[in-house]
Amino acid sequence: MSGFIATNLPKVTSLFTAMAAFFIILAVIFVIAGLVNGKKARPIALVVFLAPAIILLLAGLVIPTGRTILFSFMNPNSDGFVGFENYAWIATDPGVRTVLFNTALWTILTPLFTTALGLYLAVMLDRMRGESIPKSLIFMPMAISFVGASIIFKFMYEYRDPGDSQIGLLSAIVQAIGFGPSNWLLVKPLNTLLLMVVFIWTQTGFAMVILSAAIKGVPTDVLEASALDGATGWKLFRGVTFPMVRTTFVVVLATMVVASLKLFDIVRTMTGGNFGTSVLANEMYSQIFVQFDAGKGSALAVMLFLSVTPIFIYNIRSLRRERSNK
Amino acid sequence: MSKDLVDLITAKPDVRNKKRKLNGKERFWLIFRYISLTFIWFLVVMPIYVMVINSLKGVKNVYLTNAFKLPEKLDFSAWSVAWSGTDYFPQSISDSMTRTLFFVIQASIISAIIGSINGYVFAKWKFRGSNLVFTLFLFGMFIPYQAIMIPLVRIATTLELNKSIYVLVLAHVIYGIPICTLIFRNYYEAIPNELIEAARVDKASMVRTYRSIILPLSVPAFVVVLIWQFTSAWNDFLFAIFLTGGSPKLAVATTALNFITGSSNQVYYGVNMTASLIVSLPTLIVYIFLGRYFLRGLLSGSLKG
Repeated sequence: MSGFIATNLPKVTSLFTAMAAFFIILAVIFVIAGLVNGKKARPIALVVFLAPAIILLLAGLVIPTGRTILFSFMNPNSDGFVGFENYAWIATDPGVRTVLFNTALWTILTPLFTTALGLYLAVMLDRMRGESIPKSLIFMPMAISFVGASIIFKFMYEYRDPGDSQIGLLSAIVQAIGFGPSNWLLVKPLNTLLLMVVFIWTQTGFAMVILSAAIKGVPTDVLEASALDGATGWKLFRGVTFPMVRTTFVVVLATMVVASLKLFDIVRTMTGGNFGTSVLANEMYSQIFVQFDAGKGSALAVMLFLSVTPIFIYNIRSLRRERSNK
Repeated sequence: MSKDLVDLITAKPDVRNKKRKLNGKERFWLIFRYISLTFIWFLVVMPIYVMVINSLKGVKNVYLTNAFKLPEKLDFSAWSVAWSGTDYFPQSISDSMTRTLFFVIQASIISAIIGSINGYVFAKWKFRGSNLVFTLFLFGMFIPYQAIMIPLVRIATTLELNKSIYVLVLAHVIYGIPICTLIFRNYYEAIPNELIEAARVDKASMVRTYRSIILPLSVPAFVVVLIWQFTSAWNDFLFAIFLTGGSPKLAVATTALNFITGSSNQVYYGVNMTASLIVSLPTLIVYIFLGRYFLRGLLSGSLKG
């Protein structure tokens, strides 16, 4: 252990240079801004406060987005324009059709299932004695990265030849029921569904926690009044609880839609996009690092960007509405 | 908003259901409720259970017959192999873990400070056009990072930034600014304007007001933001593989995990499970001990999409 510390200590000191540099710059800027007095003080302070962030965001967001759009109309090396060729490729290539189909499947099935399961858990666990313990355990996978989760599930889906002893848990369970084991991750379209399980596993807890907070926000007297009217179980849920948490439900659903649109880690680590499991974000990676085609890769990125935009606009609008209601 | 939500979640359940005899139908629903919950709960917890127990069985002792069972005797050999590697398993995660820790800490602290300063301006010093600028920040929260990745990789390659881990510090600072700013802005909006006005009457400058009034009040928001940034940078795979993916020397926790489990022909499940567990430990520890703040960050941050 001491050897470990000894070898790593120099690394530690050198690794914190970025932070040291940042603090020195910050201190200098603040001292200068603090010196200025009088009428000019406020605009100068504003510039000092906001300029670093705005410069970083312009350089890191706005300009690159523009360049991606530009690249999507260019050839693999981005040194000549090809018009809409890359988009035509997206529209006609059968391989891309599978990718688009999978992405659509991901964005429809995963959010619905995750949010519905989260809602079910939130409703069922609500006001149960000791609810916080099962809740915190269900929430736990949220702290594990998609990569880590994928590796656990790879183990669960592992396959050995039928003669050998099966090591994967899924194969074991299926064999116990009386079916043969299968090389799960090679079977289309089952493999895409199995990848979705990883997403659902990590995200359900998140949906549950948010919805559970919304349910707890339903006033007690409303519940009591409907209980007096004889509403219980399903009726109470459909007539009272769900309408009161509908907004939150939509928000969680939208969050999940965006997350599954952008999904990359699970597909990359579990199948690398092979066996017909690729999605937009993964295909884009393959186009850049395997095919070295920045044009097609950018066109895919633009597709991704465009599909998120309506949700972004919707969110900005509801955020504005919320603020003006305050 | 988030504080109320967290209180609601962590609050003791109120006893709204007065104790009384249940009729048949109600009893059926109660049993159904418990059975379905136990089933789901079992499904959710099982992968974690499998990961933990199979990491304690040594390098080569994971089979179907014992995959569900507790280890007969504790064997930590998989831990030492996963941590430092051996001759037949040369990859190790100790290097990448320390590397990740240092880059993540730096990125979190820097983006938290920038977020705090910006949040202060957007909450208390609104200026002409501040809404427009704020929309730029929101845009940064919603954008799929794939949309900026290709130009980012190119510029990092041209400037040779991708040869050092600082490229990830820079990336997580830039793309962390929007969410950090939003969390701080929401937090600062709750600080009474009178405090700021009083400082203004005393002719305190903007910088001075920030330093002596705002900053001392910001500790809770800093905790939330730091935890949020820490976990999201720690678990990030996208930036890591695009910006440093080609170089095993710059492997961070997630990319190292991907190398380990993807590269060897002979698969050592004990080691794989241990490596996943070790890599997940920092975020799990944060969640277990600072769950309240973790949740708060998630509530205010993750609804971004």
